[in-house]
Amino acid sequence: MNPARLSGRMKTVSMADRTLKKEDLGKLIDSVRAKGGRFVAPALLARQVVFRSVKSAEEVATGYILARNSFKEFLFPQTEVIAEFSMNKDSVGLKGVEVDAPETVVFGARPCEAASLKGLRTLFTWDFVDEFYTKREDKTVVITVGCTSGDEACFCTTVDLSPESTEGADVYLRETEDNGYTVKGLTEKGKKFLDTHDAVFTSGAAKERPLFKPETVPAVDLKRVSERLKDRAHYDDPVWAKLTMKCIGCGACTFVCPTCRCFDITDEGTAFEGERRKNWDSCQYDAFTLHASGHNPREHQPQRWRNRFMCKFNFYPEKFSSKGCVGCGRCIRVCPVRLDITEVMQEFSK
Amino acid sequence: MENILRQKAKELLSSGEVKVVIGYGWNRAKTRTTPVFITDAADTDQLVWNPLCVNNLSVYLTRKFKDIQALGKPAIVAKGCDIRNIAVLISEAQIKREDVYIIGMACQGVVYKQELWQGELKPNIMPTKCHNCDVRDPHLSDFVAGEKADFTPPEEPVGMVFDKIRDLDSKSPSERWAFWVKEFSRCIKCYACRQVCSLCYCERCITEKNMPQWIETSAHPRGNLSWNLIRAMHLTGRCTFCGECERACPVNIPLNLVNQKMIMVVKDAFDFKSGYDEKAHPPMIVFSPDDKENFIK
Ligand code: SF4
Ligand code: SF4
Ligand code: SF4
Ligand code: SF4
Ligand code: SF4
Repeated sequence: MNPARLSGRMKTVSMADRTLKKEDLGKLIDSVRAKGGRFVAPALLARQVVFRSVKSAEEVATGYILARNSFKEFLFPQTEVIAEFSMNKDSVGLKGVEVDAPETVVFGARPCEAASLKGLRTLFTWDFVDEFYTKREDKTVVITVGCTSGDEACFCTTVDLSPESTEGADVYLRETEDNGYTVKGLTEKGKKFLDTHDAVFTSGAAKERPLFKPETVPAVDLKRVSERLKDRAHYDDPVWAKLTMKCIGCGACTFVCPTCRCFDITDEGTAFEGERRKNWDSCQYDAFTLHASGHNPREHQPQRWRNRFMCKFNFYPEKFSSKGCVGCGRCIRVCPVRLDITEVMQEFSK
Repeated sequence: MENILRQKAKELLSSGEVKVVIGYGWNRAKTRTTPVFITDAADTDQLVWNPLCVNNLSVYLTRKFKDIQALGKPAIVAKGCDIRNIAVLISEAQIKREDVYIIGMACQGVVYKQELWQGELKPNIMPTKCHNCDVRDPHLSDFVAGEKADFTPPEEPVGMVFDKIRDLDSKSPSERWAFWVKEFSRCIKCYACRQVCSLCYCERCITEKNMPQWIETSAHPRGNLSWNLIRAMHLTGRCTFCGECERACPVNIPLNLVNQKMIMVVKDAFDFKSGYDEKAHPPMIVFSPDDKENFIK
């Protein structure tokens, strides 16, 4: 941990319209669940904090920096059935599948990761509306909590976000000195949510804890990064191999990343009956671009890494005017070879 | 030791005996080690050696790292436990002994995960392999950096891998089954466990054979179970318990329990432990006409 990078404190502004007492979090969970909704929050599982569906306030983790996984899996599950098929001598049966989209509250997300929703939405509605995503997102209320701690992997401020940003969130909370929260409704959806569960909230002044603000990564210039990536000349630059040769192609970075959303379609079952599934996939895998002919346009791992970086700092901003990277640092924390995306950002800022 | 290592690396690169030294260096903040590939004798000061040097770099000797191979003959910085993987790679004809220069590190142990490091190597942050280490004086090396480690491994804290295995063994098959189904249910099919393992070197993993699909790629309970069982079986008798797979697993599945259990089974059945002798073949991959079992005939 490098405290120097985390020491910048932010001003405490109160813009809240409600407060949530620590002891009332359970009531909020009950209130959501009583209406048939699921309450997703950071909770301990196998010695680490991850987003999961919880039933009580006791399960909700405190003192975490951010969950190991992103909450995207509640909008875009790792695996889901999208159609069913059957076949016999005289007929072929194809059956669509109803999207399983329960009312969902994502509680305790961080401001960085909420900002990933815009990019996900744009992608899943690009030339085709993927209802498996949109219907779920429509029914999800995202409640972010401003960060009061961080670690050396956090770099939201380098990608123009901060623990104060509200992009993608429906409700924004700030921790208070008495372990409760101040509450601010941001979107129509968020305000409606607060009204629906109004009985749980209180009003009145509360002292907010100061936010932690990670220092920006030195010598990173996003404009320059994007300029350099637009120029085809970088394509075969030996610098890719130099920086990313150590990547083992495990794909863990893409699976925990809130903005990564590549998937594969696969059929399971027998030849006569089965289901079609949509499963997470990763551009870091060698089979990701493997053609049926046996040709693979991205044969080397650094080429796959180049794609990941291009996707985040060129394709997303250019094509979808949205952030491909929100600076949550998950990919850095999870990487077994400690490949740090900000070091690549520095290189391409030159 | 770091200096001896750097000196040796410098010599090897200047003389042209090797073209690249695969070792450990610092990340930008100097809080974590990360693999480095040194090709210039002037850069050897980037090499570091400390208890954060957890990665088993032998994975970089396998065929999929084409860009590293393109650099030329490698020297590799390796702990005794890493060398065990290199020995398996040699015995399985993945590399030739003479094609790699092994810089063995006399070793005092490493941390289980780098995040646990707080400045001191205590037994409770070390992996089980270090508590039971018999390769601190690295074997099979061309050069050993450091004095022969006369360090005695620390007492194994309670609740580590062997205790857990004993506990599981005492359970009924259905309880054990339930335990593993629950653990594997978290699997997200990222295959980090496979990618990080130098012994998972197949250029086309069975999970990628999709005509027909042998292993379901979906991360549902059935698919997770088939993947994790296949991984266990394909590593049986070969796995050295280096622990990389468990370290890399983003959802903390206790893969070391599987690995060590299979090692114990192979030890009992064949009196074999992998990675000590580069000329010995792991039992599951050899066929011998005078095998006492006759089911295959
Ligand atoms: S690329 Fe890394 S830091 Fe950026 S959003 Fe994805 S996981 Fe977070
Ligand atoms: S987590 Fe690290 S090693 Fe794995 S694919 Fe991502 S960058 Fe490569
Ligand atoms: S198992 Fe032995 S050689 Fe390997 S890191 Fe531990 S002490 Fe060192
Ligand atoms: S412990 Fe894991 S990574 Fe190491 S050899 Fe065994 S299976 Fe491979
Ligand atoms: S690393 Fe863990 S989550 Fe990933 S495939 Fe292996 S067991 Fe599953």
